[in-house]
Amino acid sequence: MDLIKTEKKSRQINTVRKEDQSKIFKKNFDLYLLLIPGIIFIFIFKYLPMYGIVIAFQNFNIFDGIRGSEWVGLAQFQKLFHSPQFYQVFRNTLLISIYKIIFLFPLPIFIALVLNEIRVMFYKRTVQTIIYLPHFLSWVIVSGLVINVLSPSTGIVNNLIIACGGKPISFLMDNHWFRTVLVASEGWKEVGYSAIIYIAAIAGIDQEQYEAAKVDGAGRIQQIIHVTLPGIGSIILLMFILRLGGVLQAGTEQILLLYNSVVYETGDVIGTYVYRMGIGQMDYSFSTAVGLFESVIGFILVISGNYLSRKASGRSIW
Amino acid sequence: MSRTKIKMTKEDIGVDIFAYAFMTILALLTLLPFMNVVSKALSAEWAVVSGNVGIIPVGFQLDSMKIVIASKEFLTAFGNSALVTFVGTLLTLLVTGMTAYPLSKRNMPGMKFILFMFVFTMFFNGGMIPTYLLMKNLHLLNKRSVLILPALINIYHMLIIKNYYESLPESLEESAKLDGASNFTILFKIIIPLSIPVYASITVFTSVMKWNDYFGPMLYINSPALKTLPLYLRDLIAEAEDVISRSNNLGDVSPEGVTSAAIIASTVPILLVYPFLQKYFIKGMLIGSVKG
Repeated sequence: MDLIKTEKKSRQINTVRKEDQSKIFKKNFDLYLLLIPGIIFIFIFKYLPMYGIVIAFQNFNIFDGIRGSEWVGLAQFQKLFHSPQFYQVFRNTLLISIYKIIFLFPLPIFIALVLNEIRVMFYKRTVQTIIYLPHFLSWVIVSGLVINVLSPSTGIVNNLIIACGGKPISFLMDNHWFRTVLVASEGWKEVGYSAIIYIAAIAGIDQEQYEAAKVDGAGRIQQIIHVTLPGIGSIILLMFILRLGGVLQAGTEQILLLYNSVVYETGDVIGTYVYRMGIGQMDYSFSTAVGLFESVIGFILVISGNYLSRKASGRSIW
Repeated sequence: MSRTKIKMTKEDIGVDIFAYAFMTILALLTLLPFMNVVSKALSAEWAVVSGNVGIIPVGFQLDSMKIVIASKEFLTAFGNSALVTFVGTLLTLLVTGMTAYPLSKRNMPGMKFILFMFVFTMFFNGGMIPTYLLMKNLHLLNKRSVLILPALINIYHMLIIKNYYESLPESLEESAKLDGASNFTILFKIIIPLSIPVYASITVFTSVMKWNDYFGPMLYINSPALKTLPLYLRDLIAEAEDVISRSNNLGDVSPEGVTSAAIIASTVPILLVYPFLQKYFIKGMLIGSVKG
């Protein structure tokens, strides 16, 4: 999400003197030495696991290793596409992700717009400090809070429901509610922090535009619609396209901490499925095939998202 | 704002009422779960179990907090998290910042390709299982280093630092070179000291990430002695009753009270540094995003 730069900037390449390239290399040999730890690092921890992907095409056995295991071609992928469980997981991933986009993408924009209308600086800063905070808590802490607050017997939410004459709900054990809990808890944790980028974008809008709008007789709501919103339009578009690129990431860590076998039907996503099949049941090859499927689709989505963003707004992540 | 000088119209008043009400509700929604958990941690067993605790403690007691803070497991986990966070952040900053420097010299032979090799790993990776098997083959499972080494470079942060380096005036380096300084000297004596703001922001992001990391420890750490705080907390939430019976405490504590106390004890460190972090993470967000 970070790191947006304009195309103009990325094209601004320093002028190269017509010097022999090997001469530059020799003269700056120490510059290349600085790269060594980094290169060793990405080779071992990033590129070696990519080699490990081949086990998706094997019947991998931990004792025989990659070299000794039997090659089975696309058999793991056939198993995957014939497994009803995989469709459920894939469907859950998309649904949870899409719900999160529908409900949580517009909210930070709205928060930024409303916050911008608050003129008492002390109050504005206090509210900001509070709403940024949950982002800095781990999912373990937040899941602890969620479990605590939603507890059917002692949780504050169910106490309210009972006080209003309703029956207590086991939110975390109920397939009707589980996705709602996922969206709401993610919203609680991230919505305030996600607003920062729009708050910053609004701060960058030229004040003269507001003066001009006022002279034309625009009220505050019209100023929001005709000045503020268009002013942050390109950022909104960019964030949206980038968000679409991550549509297969429904929040593995969050779900892993909140779900249980009762709600697999609605809550199991690709990430948690890979974990259960791989680490839990040690079905390494199948699990890697599922993971590879996710990575390839995710890769295509990110690349095309970035391309679209560059076409549409001239901004991109690289 | 000049807006306030003009007489308030009905619309102005309406917008104001809505804005203040909305933001107040939002802030309360953020705070209420905390207040609820704090009061549960400080309430007596009967009050917690009967569901009588809202945002004010009922039957005030400190035993739940004491059980958590005095437990050996908590202190071990706290120490492990602190160690991994400190060493991990330091090393990650060093390697990330060091790698970013040569890569900011895009006109040097080979640099574009090497940069591509780094950036590619942002968008494609081996996935959970091949990475897990690698750690296993490297005999890194159940070692503290597995929480530090695989994350030595954060590519996003490296790009942010690289962009920052590129924004520094080139003349600084040129004059240092004329004085005979090596690239090492230039980086550590001139470039890095000038990049303190960006390093401060990245320190905030990295250390919070390390302190909160759950997925890494969950995959790679089994040994109780190496548990980090998130792992400890997850286990405690699952088995709070055992903890109470083990603590031989005959006081007025409930499993949920203990869980709540643990949630608070793990949150406090972040809360304590939070006011100091704020200006850096906002700055960091801005350096990384709405630029140019």
